[in-house]
Amino acid sequence: MSTSVSVAITLAVPPDEAFRLFTEEVDQWWQRGPKFRFRPRAQGRMCFEPGEGGRLIEIYDEEARDIYEIGRILVWEPGVRLVFEWRGPNFSKGEVTEVDIRFRAHAEGTRIVLEHRGWEVLPSDHPARHGLANTPFLGIRAGWWQEQLTALRNLA
Amino acid sequence: MSGKISGPEEIDLILAALADPTRRRMVDLLRDGPMRAGDLAAAFDISAPAISRHLRILRATELIEEEEAGEDRRLRVYRLRAAPFADLQSWLEEVADYWTSQLAAFKAHAEGRSAGKKGKKK
Repeated sequence: MSTSVSVAITLAVPPDEAFRLFTEEVDQWWQRGPKFRFRPRAQGRMCFEPGEGGRLIEIYDEEARDIYEIGRILVWEPGVRLVFEWRGPNFSKGEVTEVDIRFRAHAEGTRIVLEHRGWEVLPSDHPARHGLANTPFLGIRAGWWQEQLTALRNLA
Repeated sequence: MSGKISGPEEIDLILAALADPTRRRMVDLLRDGPMRAGDLAAAFDISAPAISRHLRILRATELIEEEEAGEDRRLRVYRLRAAPFADLQSWLEEVADYWTSQLAAFKAHAEGRSAGKKGKKK
């Protein structure tokens, strides 16, 4: 039973440049607005800390070190592959999914294949696993995605 | 739980049910076709009550259904139900939509930057 998601896109930029823009300029292209926020009523600066062991974070106040850590960077191969953990809003402690992005040279430039996997292990520490039904926090998260996408459709 | 599986709550229950490796493996086994409870249990090295509990949880999410076959519980046949998987699939598709949107935004940004760097080309 696969609970991963895979999407792909082709862009007219070489892989090295695509990787650089994807990471260095994430703050410039990341989708914004209330529905995309990691923290309610707050919008910060998105940032990949380069290299394995770095993090994908949203920074709200640099001096106060007020950040949201989306996840650690697990693989950092410029122009080839980027893997990082993904903790969305309302994820419980210890719950994490994984985003795996591959950059491949393509006649047009770069083919990017993004896989977001690990959704099946999310509730592993959750009481639901021990037979308690109705899981409020999971509902919130699913609702979050749903709102995000509804907002997206409205924008489109 | 009963009734139609449609909302996020139901999908969460499905994800929770599938969070357990034993239950995932049960589902995988049932993908090849219906199985008797006894045969299903034989595939796992855990107690009969544990097997029953896992089957009960899968039944509660309507991931699987049970076909009565007389008195002997071990002769009951379990089969996968398609609908809950379709719902989980549609939820994952929404995750896919999220990333499609992010990547489209990235493409627009990257190609715009690239064109800018080359100067005059649009």
